[in-house]
Amino acid sequence: MMFINPERSKFEGVVKAYSAELYRYAYWLCRDRFTAEDVVQETFARAWQRWSGLRDDRAAKGWLYAILRNEHARLHERKQLAIDPDQELDTLMDNSGANAFDAFEMRDMLAALPETYREALTLQVIGGFSCAEMATMIGITEGAVMTRLTRARQAIRRLIDPKPLIKAKES
Amino acid sequence: MNCLEFRRLVLAAPRQITAEQEAHLERCARCAEFAQSVVHDEAAIAQAMLVPVPEGLAERVLLRHGIRGPNRWGTLALAASLLVAVGVAFYSHEVPRQGDEIVSAQLSGANQHAVAAIAYVLDHEPQLLKENRAGDPKVMRAALSELGLSLPANIGSVRYLGNSVLPDGSRGEHIVLQTPYGHVTLILMPDEFLESRVAVSDRNLHALVAPRWGGCYLLIADSAQTLKRVEAMLL
Repeated sequence: MMFINPERSKFEGVVKAYSAELYRYAYWLCRDRFTAEDVVQETFARAWQRWSGLRDDRAAKGWLYAILRNEHARLHERKQLAIDPDQELDTLMDNSGANAFDAFEMRDMLAALPETYREALTLQVIGGFSCAEMATMIGITEGAVMTRLTRARQAIRRLIDPKPLIKAKES
Repeated sequence: MNCLEFRRLVLAAPRQITAEQEAHLERCARCAEFAQSVVHDEAAIAQAMLVPVPEGLAERVLLRHGIRGPNRWGTLALAASLLVAVGVAFYSHEVPRQGDEIVSAQLSGANQHAVAAIAYVLDHEPQLLKENRAGDPKVMRAALSELGLSLPANIGSVRYLGNSVLPDGSRGEHIVLQTPYGHVTLILMPDEFLESRVAVSDRNLHALVAPRWGGCYLLIADSAQTLKRVEAMLL
């Protein structure tokens, strides 16, 4: 006769619910599908080791993202931030029309973003985290998260169309 | 709230519009237009971020931690698929295929490329699509332009982009398209000059090799009609 362990069952549910989005987060951190799978495997290995420490099931998602982030940092030395502090948000652009290359080009553009910008964008788009949640996870202020997100999207818009069409006014 | 503040907030969180932002939107048409374009970009970003997840990832995680043993039905399915594979291999070896006469009769020039391209699509493309490697769109654009072709927006989406080496040793830029007429492979060979246009049918696929000023291109699809329609869109 087989007995179902409730903790194992719960862990199985968490693996099934979050492995895909964690893989995508890992992929955009390291941009290598094999490494991404390794990082996801290590993340769940750590999570299972510390499973008894998880008090609130609702916190599982953020907890797993945080473990994955640490695992990635541990396995792959994080690159130096490539942020230009003088970059101003004075020129904001419209984008051009879509064509069949869009998805490929967009992936190239995302890959070309500085890691810190891309990470914030991934956490927001894939993970659905708020700026405040991301701030706690990354260990920076909410304002800094917003700046990264703003600059990430601004950079993508510049790559889509380098010609500035709309200028924002301070008025 | 001024325009700059509004745009900062839209770029930071396009899906969370505050009451203050809404009030600004009502009185600033340019910011409304800007917000709309950011939301449009957001859909493209979200789509691009959804990279394919390796098949069976969750199962492998669970197996590694001993949470779940190998699925009995999965084992049976694996055994069944192995039996089918062995059967298909035996059948393929014993029974001549429909396009064999093309392979053996005139395996030169354009025919050779066409048959090689069909073999390449059948033998390698499924794996390439799984691997999700992206080639350089700039290289692809240059090859298209050299051959006087274009990919209009209504042709569908690009599922794969890369460099291919066909079984006959020829090289080309390889594009897999999901068109309104189905899955179509386009191989661009800017440096390959041919004299005549050739259409070949082999292993249930149709291939077309067409010479151009700057080289030639190959189209592979499951029907001659699809080839015709997609070619018309490219030219």
